Formats: sequence, C-alpha cells, structure tokens
Amino acid sequence: MPKFTARAALAAAAIFMTGALPMTAQAEQPTYSASYAEDRAEIEDLMARYLFAIDYFDWDSYVETFAPDGELEFASGTSKGRDAIRAAVESFSKRIGEFYHTEDGKPATLRHVILQSSIRVEGDRAWARSLWVEMANHGPGDTMKMGTFGIYEDELRKVDGHWLFSKRRVLNEFIPNRHSGPGNPVNDMDALAEAAAK
Amino acid sequence: MTYASDRAEIEDLMARYLFAMDYHDADAYAECFTEDGVLDYAMGRLEGREAIRAEARVFKDKIAEVFKDWQGNPAKLRHTIGQQAIRVEGDRAWNTGFWWEMTNGGPQGSLATPSFGTYEDELARVGGRWLFRRRKIYNEFLPGRESGAVNPVLAMDRAAEGA
Repeated sequence: MPKFTARAALAAAAIFMTGALPMTAQAEQPTYSASYAEDRAEIEDLMARYLFAIDYFDWDSYVETFAPDGELEFASGTSKGRDAIRAAVESFSKRIGEFYHTEDGKPATLRHVILQSSIRVEGDRAWARSLWVEMANHGPGDTMKMGTFGIYEDELRKVDGHWLFSKRRVLNEFIPNRHSGPGNPVNDMDALAEAAAK
Repeated sequence: MTYASDRAEIEDLMARYLFAMDYHDADAYAECFTEDGVLDYAMGRLEGREAIRAEARVFKDKIAEVFKDWQGNPAKLRHTIGQQAIRVEGDRAWNTGFWWEMTNGGPQGSLATPSFGTYEDELARVGGRWLFRRRKIYNEFLPGRESGAVNPVLAMDRAAEGA
C-alpha cells in the first residue's frame, strides 16, 4: 500500500471542503507498484486512441474510451454518460470548422497531440495530468499552425481489465476561464490519489 | 526491476519535472533532484538540491523577463519533451532527450514556439525512486548553449559503459 501522510489528507480535505486547490502543497513522493509500467503503457494507449477518435470523427470509438458513467468537462460544458458525451462532442465538432478552416473556407485538418503525462496508479484507479497541443492546416497559405495548448486532468478506472476515463477535464490556456493552474496540477492529483488509497 | 518499469518511472519523473517548472512549484522541482544533484542550464549551474530549490523560487521572475505575451505580461511557458533515449544500469541511468517549448507569446496572444534543445541527464535511484543527479540543458537558440555536432547518445553510452 502506498504511504499515506497527514499532509496529503489535509490537502485532499481542502479540495473537497472548499473546492480550492492547495497552492503550496509540498511535493509528495509518488510510489510505483510492480505493475506501474504495464498500467502506464495501457493508459498511454488509451490516450492515443482517444485522440485518433477525435481527429477522425469516430464517435463510437471516442465514447468507448470513457467508463459507462464517465464524465467529460470541456469548454462547452460537462456531460455525464456515453450518450451525453457523444451528443456534446458531435455538436462541438460540427461547429469547429467555423474556427479552424483553410483559406477557401473548408474545415481544416485538425490534429491533437499529447505530450508529457504524469500518471499515478493506485490499484484499479488512476489519475493523470498531461500537456496537449493542437495543430492544423489553417496557417497562411494553408500551412501548418499550432493553435492552442492546455492540459488534461484525468481520473481513470480499470473496468473489466481495461483502463477507461471516469472523468476527463480539458483545460485550454487560450480560452478565458478554461486556464489550468496557477498551482502545479500534479499536486492536487497526488492529494486525490493519496486520499483514495487510504 | 525491468527496463520497462525503470523507463516508465523515469518518464513520470520527466513529466513531474516539467509540470513543476511550468507552474512555478519550486519544492516539487527541487524534489526531482538528488540531494547532491546538479542543474546546469542557461542561467547558471546549481549544485545541491537546496541551491536548486532557491534557484527555482526565482524561475518565475527570470522567465517573466524573457517571455512576454503581446501585451507585455509574463507569457505562459510550457516545456515539453519529444523522444528520449534512456539507458539503465542498476541504480544508475542516463537520458538523452529532445525538448521544445511553446508560449502564448505570439502576435495577438497566439501560440509561439521559441526554441528547442536537448536534455543530457544522469539519474540515480535513491530510496527506490529515480531522481536527477545531473541535468544539463542545451538550447540550440542560445549562443554557447548549443548541443554540438556529435550525437549526444554516444557520450551517454560511453558513460554508462564506464560505470
């Protein structure tokens, strides 16, 4: 079992009671179980499948990356359950061409990219904080342009042997009110994981 | 421990390091280094975790001087890593990694990609946890901090074999 500390308990309690993230939380030392590499590899694969599903408008595959009662929070709002998530992302996807288009007005080819991930695993639950960036052919002369970046704040659950998102929160540093931070997002992840592992 | 498990834990350390740096969390940043760890970067060479912690406390101000958004406010700076060649020998490891960075410092608040470079790292497993013993950061856009003409993986392999 991972080491549990009173400091983590206080940090987690602060989140639950006030909704505020601990700004000055000390760095908790993560613990890694013998199966960490295996879990991390499978979670990284899930993250890749999620992005291919979005960029190729494959909403069947997309919703299957979520647990049946999974939750998605992004700029358009919060949706719970696969049907609600599908409705929200399909609607958003139809509007995205207004923002991302080539010079002749066609929807741009948009690609999301996942960068570093800190992933914490405790049994059949996991948490992750990852940096993402997106790019498309909507630069001058339809050249490649990187549009925005942000982070994913994820909770995952292993369901019937498969890691799935139980909650994915998408933050974007270029959309007002959707910024991450200002505290280190890894600290609240550690506090949540340690509280859950108690 | 297998190579895959060492590598997974080292990748997690790399991510924690980057989040700590970009969100100005000096304690989490310093905890990525061994007590005698060395950070060698564009703005100085720090020896020991406490010296690194002190330096990390002023990263925010130092970075705000260099990276501004189009209105003159401190830009949001995000470092990221590409491929990493990681070599593990027992409780020691070496990493040669490619990094690049992005900000919201482009025209009208757009995304900018100011620079890239390499990380050349020595790591040690202390108390079961991988930490940086030495991180040297090269930046191909800063005169005097370029990584050079020779494949850095060769020096890493020689160091690992010497150990």
